[in-house]
Amino acid sequence: MQTALLHDDPHTVGPYLLLSRLGGGGMGTVYLARTAGGRTVALKVLHQRLSADTGLRHRFRLEADAARVIGGRHGAQVHDADPDAPRPWLATEYVLGPPLDDAVAATGPLPERAVRALGAALARGLAQLHRSEVVHRDLKPSNILVTADGPRIIDFGVAHAVGEAPLTQAGAAVGTPAFMSPEQAAGLEHATAGDVFALGGLLVFAASGHGPFGSGQPTDLLYRVRYTEADLGGVPPELVPLLGRCLAKDPAQRPTTEELATALAPDGVPQVFAEVLPDGVLRMIARRGDDVWRQPPRLTPPPPDLPPGPATPPGGAAGPSRRRMLAMTAGGVVAGAGVAGGLWAWLGRGGGPGGEAPPPEPVKPPTRLWTFPSRTPDRFGDVVSTPHGLAMPAGVVLCGVNPESGEGTWQANVADVWRWAVGGTDLYALRDDEQGKKLAICLLDPADGQPGKPLVELAEYRGGENRNQLLCVAGKTAYLAARAVSPDRWYVLAVELRTGRVRWRTGVDAAADGYLPPMLRGVVVGDRLVVSRSDSGIHFVNVTTYALADGKVGWTQASPFSGEPPSELPVDDRYVYLSDAAVGARKLADGESGWLFGHDRDVGGSAGQTRVYGPPALHGGVLYCTEGDRGLVALDALTGSLNWAEKGLKGRRLRRDVAPVVGRKYVYSLDDKGLRAVDLRSRTAVWTFPTDATVLAADRERGKLYLREERATFALPLA
Amino acid sequence: MEGLRQDDPPRIGEFLTLARLDPAARRGVPERRYLARSADGARTVLIALPLQGADPGRWAAEARWAAKLNQPGLWPVAEVGGSAAFPWRASPYRPVLPLPEALDACGGPLPEEAVRALGAALAESLASAHVLGVVHGGLCPAAVLLTAYGPLASCFGAVRAAAPEGAPRTGLPGIDAGCLAPEPAAGGPVQASADVYALGAVLAYAATGHTVPERAELPAGLRAPITACLSRDPAARPEPARLLAELAPGAAWGTQSAGTEPAKLPGRVVAALSLQAAAVLAAELPEVR
Repeated sequence: MQTALLHDDPHTVGPYLLLSRLGGGGMGTVYLARTAGGRTVALKVLHQRLSADTGLRHRFRLEADAARVIGGRHGAQVHDADPDAPRPWLATEYVLGPPLDDAVAATGPLPERAVRALGAALARGLAQLHRSEVVHRDLKPSNILVTADGPRIIDFGVAHAVGEAPLTQAGAAVGTPAFMSPEQAAGLEHATAGDVFALGGLLVFAASGHGPFGSGQPTDLLYRVRYTEADLGGVPPELVPLLGRCLAKDPAQRPTTEELATALAPDGVPQVFAEVLPDGVLRMIARRGDDVWRQPPRLTPPPPDLPPGPATPPGGAAGPSRRRMLAMTAGGVVAGAGVAGGLWAWLGRGGGPGGEAPPPEPVKPPTRLWTFPSRTPDRFGDVVSTPHGLAMPAGVVLCGVNPESGEGTWQANVADVWRWAVGGTDLYALRDDEQGKKLAICLLDPADGQPGKPLVELAEYRGGENRNQLLCVAGKTAYLAARAVSPDRWYVLAVELRTGRVRWRTGVDAAADGYLPPMLRGVVVGDRLVVSRSDSGIHFVNVTTYALADGKVGWTQASPFSGEPPSELPVDDRYVYLSDAAVGARKLADGESGWLFGHDRDVGGSAGQTRVYGPPALHGGVLYCTEGDRGLVALDALTGSLNWAEKGLKGRRLRRDVAPVVGRKYVYSLDDKGLRAVDLRSRTAVWTFPTDATVLAADRERGKLYLREERATFALPLA
Repeated sequence: MEGLRQDDPPRIGEFLTLARLDPAARRGVPERRYLARSADGARTVLIALPLQGADPGRWAAEARWAAKLNQPGLWPVAEVGGSAAFPWRASPYRPVLPLPEALDACGGPLPEEAVRALGAALAESLASAHVLGVVHGGLCPAAVLLTAYGPLASCFGAVRAAAPEGAPRTGLPGIDAGCLAPEPAAGGPVQASADVYALGAVLAYAATGHTVPERAELPAGLRAPITACLSRDPAARPEPARLLAELAPGAAWGTQSAGTEPAKLPGRVVAALSLQAAAVLAAELPEVR
């Protein structure tokens, strides 16, 4: 119902801020909009290209007047209108009810009681309109909104004053053939009795689900309206004579609106109109009233700005149209696409500077595959993919999510994100035993997230300690940072899951902070466990390696760190990588510096931040990270030399605490405008998906990208 | 929804109050609830404050815990703000009728079918909360907010906030005595079984108009489950999952609490929800007083 604004929709119209699109027609677009005081309205705005047409302006003014005449009881209350604005607009209340055609399509014909109440209310509405000498001329199911307190007549786009010359050219029928009066179909004056004819037809539709003259080609319909009898099949027998009279070919034979109202509801209308409505229609009404309060869909972004190149004419004033330019560039891409894979593979090996890149394609950002409502936990909160599905912390629980549908599959009571980890294809979690004394390691059932029987129970460690941390699980061994009972101190330990044996433990300093876990991350590489740690208030990240066999410390090195401590630890078999004021690689073998990049580069203004380089992502021997606010850089992981730097990025603040994700065509990175896709061939941004996500995760097996916002996690295709 | 009174705050944090959610005369509402809007007009919220005279610290602690929960069927808390002395919590506005307002709209008790649906939804929410060790501890008619998509349980932790453990909790302002199980009333901890007792009282209220019904007043089909919930012995009260199975036999797990499809509601309730939504849509920010 609500759809996102388009990039060329105005931001404001009159005193209103536009929120979303509700619909559009030949004459204009209807928006959901809001005043400075927070009043929400439906705002109809005449198309730009029609605004110069004085005839249409006149018609728009009549529509506004007619809408005012019918008022809020039988129509949509008019809030304000400006038919003289550069783009004329009309603001009315946002009516909480489905159009009659949608209601009948969804729930079937209405019961007789509802048809009578509907008809009586509509007849009274028409009577009020006719008393003010206005004729609607386009009554049809889609112009009736069914609300809880009665039907509302909307869209007076072709209404006109009684006796006034029709606005359209002679012979051009105005209205909708299926519900048109015979006189209107003949191009004659459609007066108040014409509206009664249309009302009869619309009640036939409500009672039977079909129009009185069927459907089909407009010319056939116009013929049937004028010359054949109305089809009243399916109409309750008590209503047939009355509706038959409404549909008489001779206007003089039709009842007046007053007669019709009395005949339909001889005992008066029900006290609460909603009580006559079937359940399905009530649900549609309730849905509208609730959904209008949801966040409006986000703006659909503009097509990417075209890069300078041979296709762009100098000056541009007399050049080809935007549409044509888009077509031309798209053609260029077809020719370039064949080499893309090869070129990427070559880049992936981390060779020297790239050759002349083909022009970037004008690509649209993808649309969300699904959205999962989830709350961000206090810290971290990665989206982890396993062969069974996704696992992500949300609020105080760990949630399982179906990666294809985005539906939640389970919740597990694992409040703290440092208490669980993925090992191979399984999810492991730390648990207290029944008495909260022993520390236990369990498998979480991939189907329902419930913890299984403890695989290992460690009586010498404090089960009740919140900060006990599961660093990682590798090779059927779990690596923990845990607090022992006696002596009361912290250890890093290796626990064999099959036997329950503690292979080794090595004492570590207690975490200074009483709330956070002792370590940042632990990763197993080759025959080492690499652990990073950062104590609050100390601007260093410590990296320590432990031998997997006996837990002996290989080396410990501290690196100065100014930003948020990294939650990732990119490691390959040669180096561990850290980035801050510069990007550095430390040798895994001895902890000595391997190479340093960026300490001598001018990266422009850093907006007061001492952190220049964001956390890196390692992919195919190349390290990708953001550099200041200038964009992404790609470095050769072996030598630290610059492969390439993103081109042409301006006016963005890059997020310096989230690593990019590398796909086959694009590198994805977060900035203040959203998620930016940087083409690996052209090294320029091709689209930006608006989001304020703070977590970005890749799922190469399933070809998906997961983004986590404060209240929701969603998926995009990974290309 | 009702107009503001003289002693209602014109401003709470960044929000300007528009209306009261509960009529001033309504008893047994554990907190003060308002519809409010940010000064820029962009955010309309349902905002709650502790009752005057209540302990703001304990109230805020429950509010902060509620803000972390993501359980189906619990009223989501988006923001907890204010100071230690004047805390508040806010959630994005959506049309809601507290259960007592829904009964008023219907002109009396709800039909049995509607009570069943209400009970099934709340039992399912309690079951999924209890599995994780989360005890609502504040269920009462005013805490049940009916939305187009079904009921949501708000006022999380109202009983725990009203008085510390150990002190008798009878006769506390805002606490509906009929919803208070004997154990917490005597000052004991608020346990999962007390939620079931409160749910029984809420269903009794929905079916009869008061939380302490005569057995004969209850519709025959609901007499057994409601009476079981209201057992004085906590061990005799059913588990929420069993109650769910009894109220909605054969229903698939996860289908009862407020979800993605609108719920079946009496026409008069839909009309009252619509009326409220339309009034809040049309409301303009008041002049800043």
